[in-house]
Amino acid sequence: MKKLLAVLLALAMVLSLAACGTKKEEPAPVAEPTSITLWTYPIGNWGDEASVKALTDAFTAETGVVVNVEYLSYTDGDDKVNTALTANQAPDLIMEGPERLVANWGAAGYMVDLSDLVDAEDRAQLNPAAFAACETADGKVYEYPLVMTAHCMGINYDAFVEAGADQYVDIENHTWTTEGFFKAVEALNAKFGDNVAAVYCGGQGGDQGTRAIVNNLYGGTFTSADHTSYTWDSAENVKAISELYNTKGITFDPAIVGGDEINLFRQGVLKMAFCWNIAQQLNTDNNDAGLTNDGQRIEFMSFPSETGASQLCGGIWGFGIFNNGDEAKIAAAKQFITYMCDSAHTAEAVKTANYFAVRSTAGGTDISNVWADNEIMNEYNVLMQYLGDYYQVTKGWAAARTAWWNMLQAVGAGTDVQTAVSQFAAEANAAAK
Amino acid sequence: MKQTNKPSMSRVLRRRETFSAYLFLLPSLIFFIGFVIIPMVLCLYTSFFDSKLNANTPDVFVGFANYVELWRDPVFKKALVNTLVIVVVSVPTVAAFSLWVASAIYKMKDWMLSAFRCIFYLPVVTGSVAVTVVWKWMYNNYYGIFNYVLKGVGAIDNNINWLGNPSTALWCIIIILFTTSVGQPIVLYVSALGNVDASLVEAANVDGANNLQSFWKVKWPSIMPTTLYIIVITTINSFQCFALIQLLTSGGPNNATQTVMYYIYYTAFKLYRFGYGNAMGIILAIFIAVLSAFQFWLAKEK
Repeated sequence: MKKLLAVLLALAMVLSLAACGTKKEEPAPVAEPTSITLWTYPIGNWGDEASVKALTDAFTAETGVVVNVEYLSYTDGDDKVNTALTANQAPDLIMEGPERLVANWGAAGYMVDLSDLVDAEDRAQLNPAAFAACETADGKVYEYPLVMTAHCMGINYDAFVEAGADQYVDIENHTWTTEGFFKAVEALNAKFGDNVAAVYCGGQGGDQGTRAIVNNLYGGTFTSADHTSYTWDSAENVKAISELYNTKGITFDPAIVGGDEINLFRQGVLKMAFCWNIAQQLNTDNNDAGLTNDGQRIEFMSFPSETGASQLCGGIWGFGIFNNGDEAKIAAAKQFITYMCDSAHTAEAVKTANYFAVRSTAGGTDISNVWADNEIMNEYNVLMQYLGDYYQVTKGWAAARTAWWNMLQAVGAGTDVQTAVSQFAAEANAAAK
Repeated sequence: MKQTNKPSMSRVLRRRETFSAYLFLLPSLIFFIGFVIIPMVLCLYTSFFDSKLNANTPDVFVGFANYVELWRDPVFKKALVNTLVIVVVSVPTVAAFSLWVASAIYKMKDWMLSAFRCIFYLPVVTGSVAVTVVWKWMYNNYYGIFNYVLKGVGAIDNNINWLGNPSTALWCIIIILFTTSVGQPIVLYVSALGNVDASLVEAANVDGANNLQSFWKVKWPSIMPTTLYIIVITTINSFQCFALIQLLTSGGPNNATQTVMYYIYYTAFKLYRFGYGNAMGIILAIFIAVLSAFQFWLAKEK
């Protein structure tokens, strides 16, 4: 009996298979539209839901791929991503810079290699420094860059004029020398007292500003050119930190980070900010762009150096894809990247980010004049020539940057500069091995 | 026959009752096992591995290497000392202050008692981020109210960087922790003191005991279970001080406010050393367990 049942069952299965084979002419069931998730840090208006929705809706209308967006903050965004990675719940797409996408998650094996999206023409069009930061030494591309900027510093120009310190800045070219910087601080200190500038060191927020001021003053570097070791224990950097520490009017403040420093600068408490960029210059939260809360004129400046030509820290932002093992989603995510970074729609994506495009042509469309109608952006372009090495992709970056602000805290607490620099640079280099 | 059936019937009933009891416990048990027991076991397990955030590298069994490294890590030692300072200062002051306030207000009229309870409980129900932002503003080096007042009365000449100075930062944290910790103990003490048998107090008074004697000899033993609960809870909360550190100082300046909880977070989520972070978690759990057991033992002895 059992055998008979088994035979009947097998027959039924074979017949059903045969039946499936004869249904060729029937229409295939409608496939569910592919949906992908994008997690984005607040990169200009890429952190603004209305702006991003306009872009993703247009993408969905053209491709049929639905994009679900989640907005991260810099306070806890990394924690969310890391938690998602450990739980195999990572998003398909992520928007941030090479220090996270390449040096962190890429190096840890979580990202998809995007080198198939970059052909010879793309390589010719992309800014070499920006693209170099997105590519590993063995040719893997973990980030497709969209925009970039050069981080700079801001000065309260009206306060400079009042203190007679405007003579030390080349306001047309937005540059100044190390000598001019210290003379300006002296003049401002004489006029306004102790709170001229703050070497903020409470955490990682805006820490590129403190690295840039120290590295530029006497020509020091943060890492070796090949990004294999940390070089901030050089004589040039020790001299710069000592000078900053000994200059009246400059405080080493472990109670604030970059965001706090910007607030103090906007409030008129500080007369210069080491944490500044074009997004800050365009900010209109409390007053018109380029003005403090009290209406004093803000000028963006290159960091001071002995020659006046500085090496500015770059900000590069673009997209990466997490390898979740779903080829359809990976393909859709690549489609999204091409749409945003290398098509006729790139201009809109760039404008949403409020930074500069990393290429002059995208998908055959000239985007070199994307900011032609914006006077401040045009003027800011003068700093882009000073864009320096993107060293944040050096191994052990998370530990090294912590060692950096711990070193500044130690110096601020009175530890001998050479001792503090040597100790914490050694910690950073141990992490780089 | 009746006599022989009775025990078996009661056994069936007992089994049914036990089964029902376990059914009632089941929802809580699922959460307890899922969110407490399993993570604890995983934490202990991972602490024996070199476990990092890396898809290409499997976890490597390292035995007790993470624990050995802990005792050589100066930042962990500093964090442990800071944590113990917070516990040693916070727990007695919170308990003593709460008892003092509760003793002063528990006999007040209902509306006044409610008002005081609300005032002291407010920091507990206010979001920790909101509380921290206000305190950060008050401690601000440049325009904070403390510097403003102290300068105004001539107590200081130059602003004090309260959170930026290694000698003041930890105390600033302890003060905030104190204000957010006293609310619940005060409410508990008010309730406990109100429940002390009035006839015992009256009897003591009739026997000639003064207020202090009736407090120490009658009320204090009666509220001992509440005291024990308050001490254990405050100890655990103080050991787990994290949000204040993360929002105010990130462990700085120069590790002056580094606590074990924050260092665990930093190690696991910033440096991605999950194994090492878990080893710290185990050590912290042992400290809390030992101290809590000691407190229970002390209370039992008393």
